[in-house]
Amino acid sequence: MTTPNPVLQAEHLVKTFGTGHTAVHAVNDVSLKVIPGELVVIKGPSGSGKTTLVSMLGALLSPDSGSISIDGAKFTELNDVELAALRARKIGFIFQSFNLLEALSVEENILFPAHLSPGGTRAAQSRADALLKKLNLEHRRDASPKTLSGGEKQRVAIARALINQPQLIFADEPTGNLDSQSGQEVMMILHDVARDQGCSVVLVTHDPRVEDIADRILWLEDGALRDRKSEQHSWVKDPVCGMRVDEWTATLFAEHQGERQVFCSQRCLEKFEANPDLYLIPDTEGPGKSAL
Amino acid sequence: MLKWTLKNLIAEPWHLFASVSAIAGAFALVMFFEAVFAGESKQIVAYIDHSDADVWVMQKGVSNMHMATSFVSDWKAGSVGEVEGVSKVTPILYLNTVMQAGDKRWFSFIVGLEDEGQRAGPWAIVEGKSIPAHHEAIVPSVLAKITGLKLGDEVTIAGHTFNVAGLSDNTFSMANSITFITAPDLADIMSTIGSMSYFLIDAEPNVDASELALRIKNEVEKVNAIPKERFVNNDWNVAMQMGTEIIGMMTIIGGALAVLLTSFAVYSHTIRRERELAVVKALGVQNRVIYASVMTQATWLAFLGFIMATAMVWLAVPITASFVPQVTLHVTPLGLFRIGFTALLVALISCIIPVRRMLGIDPVHAFSA
Ligand SMILES: Nc1ncnc2c1ncn2[C@@H]1O[C@H](COP(=O)(O)OP(=O)(O)OP(=O)(O)O)[C@@H](O)[C@H]1O
Ligand SMILES: [Mg+2]
Repeated sequence: MTTPNPVLQAEHLVKTFGTGHTAVHAVNDVSLKVIPGELVVIKGPSGSGKTTLVSMLGALLSPDSGSISIDGAKFTELNDVELAALRARKIGFIFQSFNLLEALSVEENILFPAHLSPGGTRAAQSRADALLKKLNLEHRRDASPKTLSGGEKQRVAIARALINQPQLIFADEPTGNLDSQSGQEVMMILHDVARDQGCSVVLVTHDPRVEDIADRILWLEDGALRDRKSEQHSWVKDPVCGMRVDEWTATLFAEHQGERQVFCSQRCLEKFEANPDLYLIPDTEGPGKSAL
Repeated sequence: MLKWTLKNLIAEPWHLFASVSAIAGAFALVMFFEAVFAGESKQIVAYIDHSDADVWVMQKGVSNMHMATSFVSDWKAGSVGEVEGVSKVTPILYLNTVMQAGDKRWFSFIVGLEDEGQRAGPWAIVEGKSIPAHHEAIVPSVLAKITGLKLGDEVTIAGHTFNVAGLSDNTFSMANSITFITAPDLADIMSTIGSMSYFLIDAEPNVDASELALRIKNEVEKVNAIPKERFVNNDWNVAMQMGTEIIGMMTIIGGALAVLLTSFAVYSHTIRRERELAVVKALGVQNRVIYASVMTQATWLAFLGFIMATAMVWLAVPITASFVPQVTLHVTPLGLFRIGFTALLVALISCIIPVRRMLGIDPVHAFSA
């Protein structure tokens, strides 16, 4: 079996914000490939450069160096006009805050990008109908986005991202503003999009449920990709409450006597920092007992 | 995109109404001033218009009536009367001077009428006589309303005293009110003997006014003869010329105000949605499309403002007439066209600032939560 040609290929991407000693190396030498129909999840601590990376891959932000190609065509040298045309035709976006256009109805929102594609809205109407049906939005067709629930809004945003049949979908924390049920729904829809329509999905999320649907999980830390097997977790104990925490995705750390401690919450971290020795007692006594 | 822009406009109807009203206010200001000047100019030619002579005869070198002085020897009335095609000659004396009633003074045009002068007298009498006798004056009724003059009261014209014998309508404007006295009384004031100012000529049926004017000019020495229509135009132009500078200035001020307001309205209707603009750009909308949509929005705002301003001025005409009688408003097609054109310019110019801001919005902001 030969590996199919990648739909997205990035090489040695670098993006630095600011200069001098205030410079932030948001993305530092990242290379990756995404093949058609693949659902790639990017994880990493806050500030690790996930949004910056996805913005560059989605032709919204130009890298300081490195190159990106979609369908084998490099776009890092294109001008703004060409980039906008590329986004309109080949890329769909899904945002954490939905970003629907408030003055337009559900259907008009979905059809909005169709104006930017060669086929126009006429050709897109049947696709819009199908998407409305598939995403269970038919009864909300003429509704204003203001009246929709979070889950509905995000489904509209997904339909809008799909209307021009893009090859790539970029989603940055699409479930961040949703309750767990709606979040689950959105995850399943994205999974179907990748599996059934051959559209590649690059998904940034903290949501642990993606483990089940991701073809590949990339771990971004300090702007660089690190190895991490998707199936594996590195479970460690929060020394304060004793809860199981995944060291890979945890965001709260403290160094104490040369040892790294991981915490489930800001509250546990604060308790620990107030009196570390209280929690670092021999294992035999059981975790967290003295904290109670 | 266009749909989005227009829907943004009507999404908040009260906001739209407020924006359009403000813009309309600026346009209405200019329109109002134009209408005041046009009304004033119309009043200035009202006398020539209403007396409805076919041809006017005056001193050679004179070509209008407003602010002009003309003397023609009275015996020439006979010579003019002999010109082929002339049916009737009505001479008048005419003077620009100051009139006084009580302690109020105003500038007035005095027309001196001969005995058979009905032809050239006031055309709409409200009260009293229409033809003055010795030491009598027919004054504008608006003046009576403003100053409290009544029939029988005294007025002073250039130091001579007259009794108000009649009140006439349609003979008042801020720069040009007309008072009628007898020709001998006016000759007395002017210390002239044997001269009149203008002859009003009635032509015989089926005689062309321009040809008649030409014949009079050729056959009678040292006179100018002008058909009524041209004479009206001459005076109208003189009057409008005085207003042109002020109207021009008002148009610039009103236009600038409208630009500011339209700019602000476009700003608040679209730029306020900075985030949505970033999203729209991220989705692949080109800058030139955004420019066109801003342009459309501004054009709509200016157009609606223009329509509303027209309605406002249209309403102001009867209201002004009943509450401020000394001001006559007259809305001309040319004035409307001029403001319409200004509105178009306003739409164009008011796009500049919003467009610059919009083009500067980075699509990457669509991702910032
Ligand atoms: N426009 C910018 N100017 C300056 N610094 C920036 C800019 N955008 C991002 N950064 C910095 O670059 C780093 C990476 O930011 P980025 O938003 O990509 O992180 P992230 O992984 O998406 O974080 P989060 O999980 O909180 O969304 C951060 O330190 C951030 O402060
Ligand atoms: Mg982010």
